[in-house]
Amino acid sequence: MRVEIMKRKTLNNYILYAAAIIVAIIFIYPLYILFMVSFSPTRYTLDELYPSQLPSHLSLTNFVSALTQYNFVSPMFKSLEVAFLVGIITLAVAIPAAYGLSKLNKRLANLIVVFLFMANLVPALIIAIPISVEFIKAGLFDSALALALAQSLFTMPLATFIILGAFRSIPKDIENQARVDGMGMIRTLYTLLVPLAKAGVAVAFLLSWLTSWDEFTFAVILSPLKPTLPVIVYLNITEGSLVQAAAFAAVISVPVIILTVVLQKYIKGVYLSGGLTG
Amino acid sequence: MRLKIKNRYTPIFFILPLVIYIVTISFYPAFSGVFQAFHSPSTGQLTTSNFTALAHYGLISAIINTVILTAGALAIEFTFGFIIASILSKRFKGRTIFSTIYILPFGIATVVSAYTFSLIFPAVGGYANSFLALFGIHAINWYSSVYMTLFTTMLADAWKTTPIVALILLAGMSQISPELYNAAAVDGAGPLRRFLSITLPNMTDFVTIALIVRGISEFNIFALPLILFGYSPKLLTTLTYSFYSTSATLYYSLAAATVLFAFVMGFALIVVFRNKMVGVYEG
Repeated sequence: MRVEIMKRKTLNNYILYAAAIIVAIIFIYPLYILFMVSFSPTRYTLDELYPSQLPSHLSLTNFVSALTQYNFVSPMFKSLEVAFLVGIITLAVAIPAAYGLSKLNKRLANLIVVFLFMANLVPALIIAIPISVEFIKAGLFDSALALALAQSLFTMPLATFIILGAFRSIPKDIENQARVDGMGMIRTLYTLLVPLAKAGVAVAFLLSWLTSWDEFTFAVILSPLKPTLPVIVYLNITEGSLVQAAAFAAVISVPVIILTVVLQKYIKGVYLSGGLTG
Repeated sequence: MRLKIKNRYTPIFFILPLVIYIVTISFYPAFSGVFQAFHSPSTGQLTTSNFTALAHYGLISAIINTVILTAGALAIEFTFGFIIASILSKRFKGRTIFSTIYILPFGIATVVSAYTFSLIFPAVGGYANSFLALFGIHAINWYSSVYMTLFTTMLADAWKTTPIVALILLAGMSQISPELYNAAAVDGAGPLRRFLSITLPNMTDFVTIALIVRGISEFNIFALPLILFGYSPKLLTTLTYSFYSTSATLYYSLAAATVLFAFVMGFALIVVFRNKMVGVYEG
């Protein structure tokens, strides 16, 4: 009987590992193809009708030609500028909001958070087209600031929710003591609470940065003439410069992969579900 | 007394910038977009002519294709999402490495995943077909019909979005008491039976949330179809963009976006009311 159970347990374990490995291969495969294509001369990849699954003659030629033939620097800086602006705008608005919410009773605060996530239901296209007209009038079209203002819509609810969680985990006594000592609310927030919640604030910043770095819809509509990296990849594909697109795609993905691995323990189901589970 | 009143309302002032931001950058433009969609570009009068004109440009097929794509992509994401969540809900050696691998596509830019899948599934040849050839399977045309094109797009989309579904489902699975499973195992219930009568009913809230979060993004799918197959077959998003980018018919573009908006809202309302989300909010 015992042997029977043991046998069944090892069998279950084998099935578990087999399933885990098969799914892992499926998930890794596209990334493998991307990096293989970007590091191989085209005659072994794009020029072949049925290209080999295995890499050969790895080289940096695609990167060299993409970096020398295209103006790589300005989209790169545009992307960096917008991503940092999104991080800063998001924190500037989300930190006070999260503080305010942490002072309200929990039920009302959660209701407001849900309302924020509801704002994310509005399709980017129905927002982007009217504001593109407004930005043209205001002379902000193609500017980093305008794009960052629009992209922050995606990041604001999640950032507020994460920072709110961080504030809630700080014992109330710490803040009360500071208030008794005569510190104002704003000073308490920025000199006491934000440093205590720095992990949550950092995660909110990095996730916002990442969202902006990847974003396409607002970028292609609001900043088509001074494009960001994702828009450059799209333009290269439509022009048929697939090799350059591969190099750019690999360049975009490196910080993304690093950030995803670093942030992995914060990319949780509870966050992604937008706090709807309370 | 005065101090107390002041304290009660100060939180509002801290939240105010966020509310103002959301209203000016999201609600106001969306409202004005919908408002303009119902107006004639030439006379400025109230009209539905923008929508009737759209019907001639394939609005109906765009709606049908968008709904098919959304439903199919959700089905694939939830199938793989449940498989991954089941794997990760177990404790085993190497679990962290596997969970890192499963999470990776989450961060990859949509444009990058679209480009990568255009290499795997190009119009002729490509990596998927060269892989199938290893097993002697004849090359497949991934864009032979509207449905085949949509199916290819679903596969490409599911790669990037399954991690989100899996993580939400995992959060739901991990709050189910293991005692329930032990009791079921004693009663001799098989894995499928346990999944249907214990796992699923005990995590309906999480399934609902994953459905809303993903379903809404699925209606908005844009960069992926644009890069994989362009403007045909039509989708609501690509139809909107085609009018925005190629002609002076901004109002048609707004009308298409309005239809998209209506579908997203309709979908959200159906899911919310079907599952009485109110209970979830109170959490």
